[in-house]
Amino acid sequence: MRLEHGRIALELHELTHRAGPSLLLLHALYGSSTDWGEAPAAWPGPVYALDFSGHGQSDWVVGGGYCPELLAADADVALAHLGRAAVAGAGLGAYVALLLAGARPDTVPAALLLAGAGLDGAGPVPLYDRDLPVERTESEQAQSAHDPLVWVTELTVRPVDYAASFAQRARRLLVAENGTARPPWWEALRHHPNCELVNDDVRNALQRLAGNNR
Amino acid sequence: MTEPKFPGAVPPERTSTVASVGVRLNVLEWGDPAAHPLVLTHGMWDHARSFAVLAPLLARRFRVIAVDARGHGDSSWSDAYMWFMDVADIAHVVRSLGRPTHLVGHSKGGGQATDAARAEPDRVIKLVNIDGFGPPALPDGDRPVPVRCAEFFEARRRLAQRRDWRPYKTFEDLVERRRAQNPRLTAEWLRYFAFHGGRSASDGWRWKSDPFMANGFGPWQPEWIAPSYRTLRVPMLAITGSEPDTWGPLPEAILAERLSHVPQLERCTIRGAGHFVHLERPRETADAILDFLGH
Repeated sequence: MRLEHGRIALELHELTHRAGPSLLLLHALYGSSTDWGEAPAAWPGPVYALDFSGHGQSDWVVGGGYCPELLAADADVALAHLGRAAVAGAGLGAYVALLLAGARPDTVPAALLLAGAGLDGAGPVPLYDRDLPVERTESEQAQSAHDPLVWVTELTVRPVDYAASFAQRARRLLVAENGTARPPWWEALRHHPNCELVNDDVRNALQRLAGNNR
Repeated sequence: MTEPKFPGAVPPERTSTVASVGVRLNVLEWGDPAAHPLVLTHGMWDHARSFAVLAPLLARRFRVIAVDARGHGDSSWSDAYMWFMDVADIAHVVRSLGRPTHLVGHSKGGGQATDAARAEPDRVIKLVNIDGFGPPALPDGDRPVPVRCAEFFEARRRLAQRRDWRPYKTFEDLVERRRAQNPRLTAEWLRYFAFHGGRSASDGWRWKSDPFMANGFGPWQPEWIAPSYRTLRVPMLAITGSEPDTWGPLPEAILAERLSHVPQLERCTIRGAGHFVHLERPRETADAILDFLGH
């Protein structure tokens, strides 16, 4: 279904239709709603997958301006449509899921954070030593399934205390681990009292997310 | 209506556009096109014409290029606004010149010019920042970040309903609105500013600026300013006014601490000016800039 986020039209896909609690899936940087494969079968209710702006079947943002908070506002528009939903995100979508869980604890009963593209951002302090965005070329625009500009989300600072403040307010936070080194904001969540560490098998993690919904 | 007059305000000698990452930037120019370039960047809800007094004073020595930021003046609008994209826009203008340039920015434009100088250290020679050193702390800093984030989400939800500014019935209503924000500026100036910053339609006057900018520039905290100054590789002249205003100058202790991180710093306080130093004391501001930049 089509949703409006300001001037941006977003596509929210309903992947499964069974009765029960809703789940909103948030894909990784450069990904789309088609990335989730068989995972939705592990969830005991309707599963929705959002295409972030600049990705999949959603609009590209005129003039760029992509950042995690903007994509979180995309997800919040989807949440407004669903009313109440658990959230699972991968990579950049995991960071967005954290923002949503902390900002909307009343309508996000639980969130699951999975690894994936776009997890790092620009680190915990602003250095501004990365390349600035340049014009999209015509061939990039013609060939790319996503807006070539979405990489600018990797320029955004992700301070540890900023991430922790969202974890502090989240109702329930599951962090999928496999022992790999992670960016500082994620490392901080490992030790946060609100976080449960789960195995990073997606189906298993979604089953854990579905259980014990307080 | 005819253009209101303002003493010392000189219309641009040339106008052009620069393409930058999906937007078209409106560019005004004063001075000899062969002279050394100097780029001016304005503040929030402002526009390039706010340099109509300062620019001709600098144009005695430089090719002066004033840019309407995206979403402002006669530049095109974007779907979302983020600090980094404004910085990229300034960098695009700098690159378009084909030779190194000086950067002079006011308020938000001063902060973004500082970041552009950091991103393009080989294309920027010297930097002048006019009272663009950020707020002392977030005005609502006592509320948790996630609560402010939820408010940002609410504002974005409301955008689906809001497409444009509500019109002001008359031109004078537009001027009055701005007077509330800039009580130190003269009625004469505010009329000049509103004439170039607004447009009339059958139902009244609107600002040219994009109302979508009201939601800020993405994640940011004042505490991030000082660490970012440490990587500045070009000399900075920091100009502030001496008088309190609706915005700025920062309390001296906070400003001095922040600026202590700038590796090559000169400071200049202009007596009798508030936040709009270049409008309240254009001649003194131009002299300070020309002294700092040399020949």
